[in-house]
This record gives sequence, C-alpha cells and structure tokens, in this order.
Amino acid sequence: MKSAFHSILAHLALGGALGLALGSVGADGAERPANGAAVYRQACLKCHGKAGEGVKDKYQDALQGDWSLDRLTHYIEKKMPEDDPGKCVGPNAEAVARYIYGAFYSREARARRHPVRVELTHLTNRQYVQSVADLLGQFNEPGTAPVRRMGGLQAVYYASRNTQRSEVTVERVDAQVNFDFGTNAPAGGAVPTNGFAIHWRGAVRADETGEYEFSLQTPNGVRLWVNDETTPLIDGSVASGTDNEPRATLRLIGGRAYPLRLELVKVPYNFKAPKNPNSAIVLQWKPPHGARQVIPARNLSPETAKPTFVVAAPFPADDSSAGYERGAGVSKAWDEATTRAAGEVAAYVVKHLDRLARTRSADADRAAKVTTFCGEFAAAAFRRPLTPEQNKGFITAPLAGAPKLEDGVRRVVLLALKSPRFLYPGWDAGKPDDFTVAERLAVELWDSLPDAELRQAAARGALHEPAAVAAQARRMLADARTRTKLQYFLQQWLQMNRVEDLSKDPLLYPGFTPELIADLRVSLNLFLEDVVWNGASDYRRLLFDRELFVNGRMARFYGYEFPPAAATNDFVKVAADPARCSGVVTHPYLLTEFSYAKSSSPIHRGVFLTRNIVGRSLKPPPMAQVFKDADFDPNLTMREKVAALTRPAACQACHSVINPLGFSLEQYDAVGRFHAREGGRVIDAGVDYPQEDGSVVRFQGPRAVAEFAAGSADAQTVFIEQLFHQLVQQSVAAYGPDVLDRLRQNFLASGCHVQNLVVEITTLAARQGYPSTTAVKKQL
Amino acid sequence: MNPLHRREFVRRLGLSAASLPFLLGLPSLGLAAPARPRQRLIVMFSPNGTIPAAYWPDELGAQFKLKEILAPLAAYQDRLLILRGLSNKVRGDGDGHMRGMSCLLTGIELFPGNIQGGSDSPAGWASGISIDQEIKDFFQSRPETRTRFGSLEFGVGVTDRADPWTRMSYAGPNRPVAPISDPYQMYQKLYGQLKDKEDLRSVLDAVRDDLKKVGKLISVEDRRLLAEHEALVRQMENEIAAAGTQKLRAAPPVLETGIADQNDNVPRLSRMQIDLLVNSFVNDMVRVATLQFTKSVGMAKMNWLDITDGHHTLSHEPDKNEAAVAKLTKINTWFCGELRYLVDKLARTPEPGAPGTMLDNTLIIWTNELGKGNSHTLDNLPFVLVGGGWGFRMGRSLDFQKTAHNRLHLALAHGAGHRLETFGKAALCEGGPLNLA
Repeated sequence: MKSAFHSILAHLALGGALGLALGSVGADGAERPANGAAVYRQACLKCHGKAGEGVKDKYQDALQGDWSLDRLTHYIEKKMPEDDPGKCVGPNAEAVARYIYGAFYSREARARRHPVRVELTHLTNRQYVQSVADLLGQFNEPGTAPVRRMGGLQAVYYASRNTQRSEVTVERVDAQVNFDFGTNAPAGGAVPTNGFAIHWRGAVRADETGEYEFSLQTPNGVRLWVNDETTPLIDGSVASGTDNEPRATLRLIGGRAYPLRLELVKVPYNFKAPKNPNSAIVLQWKPPHGARQVIPARNLSPETAKPTFVVAAPFPADDSSAGYERGAGVSKAWDEATTRAAGEVAAYVVKHLDRLARTRSADADRAAKVTTFCGEFAAAAFRRPLTPEQNKGFITAPLAGAPKLEDGVRRVVLLALKSPRFLYPGWDAGKPDDFTVAERLAVELWDSLPDAELRQAAARGALHEPAAVAAQARRMLADARTRTKLQYFLQQWLQMNRVEDLSKDPLLYPGFTPELIADLRVSLNLFLEDVVWNGASDYRRLLFDRELFVNGRMARFYGYEFPPAAATNDFVKVAADPARCSGVVTHPYLLTEFSYAKSSSPIHRGVFLTRNIVGRSLKPPPMAQVFKDADFDPNLTMREKVAALTRPAACQACHSVINPLGFSLEQYDAVGRFHAREGGRVIDAGVDYPQEDGSVVRFQGPRAVAEFAAGSADAQTVFIEQLFHQLVQQSVAAYGPDVLDRLRQNFLASGCHVQNLVVEITTLAARQGYPSTTAVKKQL
Repeated sequence: MNPLHRREFVRRLGLSAASLPFLLGLPSLGLAAPARPRQRLIVMFSPNGTIPAAYWPDELGAQFKLKEILAPLAAYQDRLLILRGLSNKVRGDGDGHMRGMSCLLTGIELFPGNIQGGSDSPAGWASGISIDQEIKDFFQSRPETRTRFGSLEFGVGVTDRADPWTRMSYAGPNRPVAPISDPYQMYQKLYGQLKDKEDLRSVLDAVRDDLKKVGKLISVEDRRLLAEHEALVRQMENEIAAAGTQKLRAAPPVLETGIADQNDNVPRLSRMQIDLLVNSFVNDMVRVATLQFTKSVGMAKMNWLDITDGHHTLSHEPDKNEAAVAKLTKINTWFCGELRYLVDKLARTPEPGAPGTMLDNTLIIWTNELGKGNSHTLDNLPFVLVGGGWGFRMGRSLDFQKTAHNRLHLALAHGAGHRLETFGKAALCEGGPLNLA
C-alpha cells in the first residue's frame, strides 16, 4: 500500500472529536497498557471498518500495505485521526499500530486471514499451443536435432531453369535474401541463356509468438514454403502484372525454428518480347510487434528444422486479474476453443496417421500399430502412463465403437484433448508423485509437456529428491523453450506488451520510423537475453549495465558509434556512456513506450519505475487527471508542468514518489534520446526521493535510481514475486509465508543469479505437497 | 510432415475461423419454398477445342438436328441453347490457350507476367473477375440468395499446378480460384462438420464421466471448477443434439473409397464430383458451381475410350488426319456424356420446396477455351446451354457471327437480375447483353 494513510489526509475527515481516554487509568490509579483493539474500535473503525476493509463514503480502501510497524506508528502519531491529528500518540499510537499491523495490515496478517492455496488451473493459451505442438512433435521426426547455427540460408544457384546437379554454379550461405540482379547473372559469370533458378533452404526462427506476414518482392516466379513441406505458403510461380509482392500470414510459436524453402525461376531473357528482363528477390516478413523488414540473418539458419503443428483456433484471453496470466475459471468460449483445437489435432492426426503411427496403409498389423500409437498419444497428453482401466476407457472403447479405424482415432484424440487430465496440468489428488513433479517442471519451465528424459526419470522414480529435481530443472534451462518463457516474463515485467503503437509525432521526431521502433524492441530483447543467459546471469546488470545492442539504423539515430565492419542491420553490442546508460532503465524502447507522442511522460515513467523497478506499490489515483500540454504555459519545462498538475495533496500521496523517479529521466526525450536542454533551459535531473521511512535520498539521474533499486529489498522482492507468478501461475503466498524471503536471501547469496532463481522456484513449486519419504502412486 | 497452417485448416476442415458456435450453424435445412424460384448456374469446361463439323448443327432456329458430339443430349433438345458465333476477342499477352482459358469467363486481358506459352508474349493471371464469381458475389450479397458456400469449384483431373492454363475462375484481378480435384477433399469441405459433430458427440459423454472422476479426486474447492466445466460440456452436448434435429434434405452421397486422383480414374472421379455437386445443390449449400475437366492443354489419356494419345497432342493434328478427328470426336462426345449424366441427375431431382425439377432452375453452360484445337482459334467458341430458369428461350440453335463473348456474360448477369453495364473489357460489351429471350 504505502499510501493508504496518505490519501486519508487527502480526502476524508474523521467526524467528531476524539475526546476519549485512549489509554486508561484503572481504579487503582495505575496506568494500564493501551489496548490497541479498543483504540481501533473507538477511533478508527468508523472510517476504516471492522477489519480495515474500508467504509463506503468514508475511507474506502482496505488498510493493507508493507510499511514497517515503526513507520505506521509514526504516521498515526503525525496524521491520525485526520480531523484532529496529534490526538493519538505515544503508547496509544503504538498499540493501535501494533493491532492494525498484526490483525490485517501486514502481508503475514493478510496471508493468515485469507489463506491462499495452490488452485486447480487449466493450461494457459500459451501452454495449450506449446503442449499440442510438442505432443505431435514427439511423434514427428523425433530424431531431428534442434537448429543451432543461425546466420542465413543455404543457397544453390543454377545456370538454367532446369535444376539438375550439373547446372549448379554456386552453393553458399546467403545471410539474407535481398538481391537485385538486374539483367546480370545472379552468381557472376556469363548470363545464362536458358534462364536460371535459385533454391534457398534452411530454417526461420520466430522470436515471439504471433502472426507473421511473409512477403516476396520479385518480378520472377517464386514459391515459398514455411513450416509445411508440401503446400507452399506463397505460390508466386506466376508473376502477373504489377502485383509483384505476394504475401501470406502464418501463425508461429516464438523461440522455435521452422523449415523454410524458397525457389526462384527466371525465364530466359531473350525470349520474344520480354516484358521484364530483370530479376530480383527480397524475402521479407512483418513479425508480431515488428515492422516489415528483410528477414534478418539472425533469424535464418542453413540447417533443417522439422515442422511444428501450430493450433489455429483462437482462444479467449487468459485471466490476468492477478497480474499474471493463469488458467483460472472456465467459460463457454474456452470450452469451444478447446473443442475446436482438439478437432484440428484430430484432423491432423488422421491425415498423417501412417507416419505418426510408423505404419503403412497396406500393413497387416496397421490396426495394432495405430492402437499402440493411440495409447502413446494419450499417455503423452496425460503426462503419465495409462492404467489398464484408462486404457480401456480412452483407447479401446472409442476405437471399438467407431465405424472405421480413422474415426476411432479421431475420437481418441478428441477424448484425450478434452480430458481434464490433459487440460489441467499438475493436479495431484492430494498425492503428487514423480509424474506430477515432471509435468509441473515442464509447465513451469517450458509451458509444455515433459520430454523423454523427464518422463523416463519419473518412470524410474528418480524425482524424489530436491537435488534430482533441481538437476532436471537445470538441464531444462538449456532448452529454447525456457528462454522463450523467461523472455516472455521479462517482457511482462518491463510491460513491453502493453502498448502496441510507439509511434511519435513525425514532425518533432523525424526518422523515428516503424522500422526503428522494431529495432528498439529487438535491441531490448537481445539485451535481456544477453544478461540472463550469460554465465553470471546477474539481475543487477539488467538495471545498470552500460552496454547496448544497436544496428546501423539505431546507431545513426541515437548517435552511437557503429563498427564500420558490421552490416548495418546486424545488431552489435556497444559500450555506451555510463553517465547516460543504465540497463533497461534508460533503454530507448522503454523510454519511448512511457512517453507521449510529442513529449516525455514523467508520470508514466515514474509509475513504471515505482512499481516494477523500485518495487513500491501504488494505489489507483483518487481522481482522474489527464495531462494536457496545451493547458500549461509553454515556457514551463515538462518537470514544472507535471509538478504543477500533481500539486494537490490528494495527488502527492503517490506523486511524491512517482514524480522524482520520473523526473530522474527527464534528460531523455520522447524517443529516448539524451538531451541536456529543454526549450533552451538546462534540464535538472536531480531529484529527492522519499524513502519508506520518510528519509530522503538524492538521485542524480537514472543510474543512481538503478543502483538504489538493485540494492533494495522491495525491488528484489517484486522481481522475484513476478518471476514466480510467471513461471508457476500460482500465487507465491500459497507456498508458505516465508517463501519469498527465503528466495530473496538465496538470490542475494548467489549474486542475484537469475537462472539459479528459476531453478529454485521451479524445483520448489514442482515438489509442492510431495511426500518427503516415499513416493505415492496416484490411484485413479 | 505437413503441418497445416490456418488457411489449410479452415479449408480442409470446412470450418471458417469465424463460424461460431463450434460445429453448429449448419444451414437450416427444412427448405421452405423460396419467394422467387431459385436460380443456379453451372459452368462445365473441357479443353483443347472441339471438332466443329461434328459439333455445330447445320440448322439455325428451333428446328435443328444434333450432330455426333451433342447427340447424348438428344433427350433434352428442347432445353438446349446452342450459341455459335461467339468469339473471345480479348487480345494482349499470353498464347491462345492461355487467353482461351483465363479470358474465357473473365473477358478481360491477362496481366503481363512470366508464363511463356508456345507463342506470343509471356503473361500472368487475368486482370478481372470471372462471370461465375461475379454472379456468386451478387447472390451472396443478398440474404434471399445467400448460401453457405456461394460457389464451389469442382475439378476432374486438373493436375496440381497453378498457371493461366489451369484457372478459369477468378475472384478478382490476380485472384485465380483453384478447383478442388479430389472428391474426398470436396466431401470434407461439404460434410466435414457433420462428421466432426458425430465424432464429438460420441465422446462428450465420456468427457463428462472423466471430469466427474477427476472431480472426486481433488479438493472440494477445486471441484467447483470442474463442475462448471462439466456443465459447459453438457451444454455443448445439448446444442449438438438440438442442431442434430436439423436434417439434411439429402444425405451425403456415399463415395467409393480409395479412388486416387489419377488419369485412369477420371471417369469415376467425374461421377463422384457430379454426385457431390448435385447433392450440394439439393442441400442448397451453393447455387453457382464450375466443373472443370483437366485444363487447357490438358493431356488426359482416355484409355477408357481406347485412346492412348494425349488429348492436347491429338488436338494439334490436321483436319485431314481422319483417325485423329475420329478420336477427338469420341473424346468430346465422352465429355458430352458426362454432361448428360449431370443433366439427367438434375432432371430427376425435384426442386426442393417448389414444383418442377432442379433442371428447371439450373442453367448449365458447357464450354471450351478454343473453337478448334489445331488452329487455336478463339472464334466460334463452343457454348451450349442446357436447363432453364434464367429467362432464356431454350430449344434453339443460334449464330451470332463473331460477337464478343463478353455479351453472353452480360446476358447471364442480367438473367440473374444483376444489371451490369459492362463485364470484363468494356469495349467488347458494345450492344449490351445478348438477347436470348
């Protein structure tokens, strides 16, 4: 809270005088210690309610927060009751503060009053899509190694339209597909007389989950296959008219590589009446949150990848009411979405049944093999072996009841994917076993299903000991899915997915293009990844590292030195001026996001820093206020305008904290560029920040804020709590009152090692409720 | 593997991403009598020109004698309209076959492009919509003529490639519509929902049992969530049951299984596609359809007629090659036989909810991209109309003497109540719609 008492001042008055003896003197004349509960009943209850829950039209907000007892006492002495401050002091103030603190105000008191438990939740949308992808992936070319080497596509150039081996002129890796050959031969040498062809092969990696629009610019005949080796995503074999930019959209799951093939055919130049003698090709995409651009080398690989099944059915948004996405509650729309998705999977399985079941249509034992496949499919979906009874209900019965084998398979798939055993991961019937531990680990780290190694460990009963579970978690860190999940957490922590349009006034910020905005996002993503997946994995580097990833466009716009040898759309790490650069705090993506279209926004920046970086909570504003630049004298600085706008006492309750943090970034304009002056006046980045205990710290610029945050227990706690929620999708309070503190102590001891923290959180949550001595098998 | 991306799913599952609620919303099938008689259009295509001497009747007017190729339609002579003298006058890029095919229903030039034929300059796709799609869009724009699919494009042995020789339907400039050559795929598109619904219905009971079973094993607080979930499953069961009371007027046809999309299966594929086409009409899923046999320059080898030459190669033989002429006549007569099968089916099917037969309200146009194979002429394109319901006076043989075929398309649009001023290339529409009344 931090501010509940502040705002009391602002907008309510305690009716009536407090003409009561708060302490009491007994008949014997001896002073008895003040009774906090009695004081509360007498003086506070009227406005704050019986248990601090608030009173309508008096003081509505609940009395809860994270001030220390001392601070609470001090505040009551100074400010309470509101209409007559100074009436409740000394032992009375101490007693009532102790009562409030212990009865409902503190985190511990709240946990005691409203015990939080680990709730049954269904797969979130991300988890559903990933689980289904991996469920089918398990049966699809299971031996394919993950793509490792990025940097371009394997290209084969042919000196003819005929793509025979003998016509090959050049084989090489092309970093990008972005060529204008004009009327020349594409790979040098003489211009071929029978046209030519170029084939590119490899994989394309999606950074984030969402819709990708692929497009090709070419006057020639082209076909592009992505994540589907039979049907082209774009069939531009007929070049027609001026419509030379065919495009198509594909949904991809972030963090995965997908097979990509591109073929270009140029008809001969010397054919009768050639309309266009030129050849050229540009392979572009528009990724989610991005701008249309040539697919960069860092997203292309010359290696082969196996296709991934991506569910197309739209799901209703996950419940985010607790501040993180979780599968709480069910709705008709969700039930229908799971049905549609199960239908998609069923259709896919039936279409590819022979390959998935490793059989052929003419095999005598096809039915037996298909039955085995069905059993393996359901076991993988349920994340544990089937009991004989389950085998009967989920496999034998639907197969036997269907008119045709394929119909039976469709029913098995529908039944398995509609089952709570698939949809609600980690439920434990009060008796978690090794399979429960394995499935929880997979959900927590990967948003997906256990892999073969985890399944085998569970089957061996090798997930009894915390060390064994932690060892598995540590192994799982290396998987791309963990990176994706952690990256998503960091994006949520930094609120990178809240604002879609970061564009600014083009007259004030020329050159701040959609492409540049997309670059900023990539730059921030690369930075986050670099810090977390570096050996030290040090959280503090996130806050005050002085390195930044830039490409040529960013370097030009922001005035960074860019190595002349680097290709201009490559991102390179550059050392920035430490006086101006402090990790995520000064990253231009965030500075831009928390700005108006024509100016910085100290309030947005301040609120973000308060809540997510410094780790203090804020109440919603007591009154709605809109910042209108036109309302102010244009000679004022932004800092002066905001100070004026938030001057009322009701505002100051929170803005005394928000404003100084926001003002510390005033030397960065709406696009995150450093500027020392605003309208000819030197910008003052020095601020006085009031701490919890009322003392004031002087910050000179963002680095001081970041260093303060890095050492602040509140900031660390907020980071750990948010990470916990993102990984586990349960309230950390359900795992014990001291869990957060223990995690924080270990976090500090490890040098704020993020990867270690992930292992500790997931191990702890996976083992929740696990019997300490013997494993108990689920009896279902 | 072959993962299906979104469009693929939508296509193969026959589900539109926007079609909610799930698996319901089948068209209401207790077809009431329409306020206006239904109008349906089928364009049937066969390639590589005809044999004029064995095709065009010698006489004009209401009294004419059918020649060999059209003889299979003798029983329907009073329902025929034979239109001689229509020319595809679209010029520009592309060889005769390409323009023959891609301008046949569009009546407008091809875009410049990279597809090189055996002569002329290379070309791309047609630069305008085709008449079948124009009429489909018109029907779909009005509630009383709107159907679930609007149009269906059937293919028979088209081959799996996309170029101006294989596409005659265009949804707009540069937007060729691919015919579906695989009857099983077409079946899935038409009736996949029913199949899915049946499968879903068969498992929902078990899903509810499973939810109950799991519910008993978990804490009381969590049980509530599963109870809500179970209620939703029950609701879906009820909705499916309610929708199940809507019966299809005609059950889906029973298709022979395992007929691969191969040359020698063309006769069987043809019948399967025609069965599906008529079935989709009876269930009023669609009112516009195309039925495309192979493609321009199609090389079907009609072994079932004891003809082992490729169709296109044969079509280049000179008139004096009597054996080739005889074979080509046989081939075209076979196509006409397939048309007869279609016409028979329509003539035997009562019009749902109205007097008469479906043929009374269905106009079939059988056409070809060339007037004659060995000359590649775009004059005297074969246009035979069969059926009724479009306000044309049938039972006649007419000769329009090198009139642009755009004017036939205009007449079709007007016949549907869609009063276009021009269609395709405006300059070729002079004189307005052909008067066929």
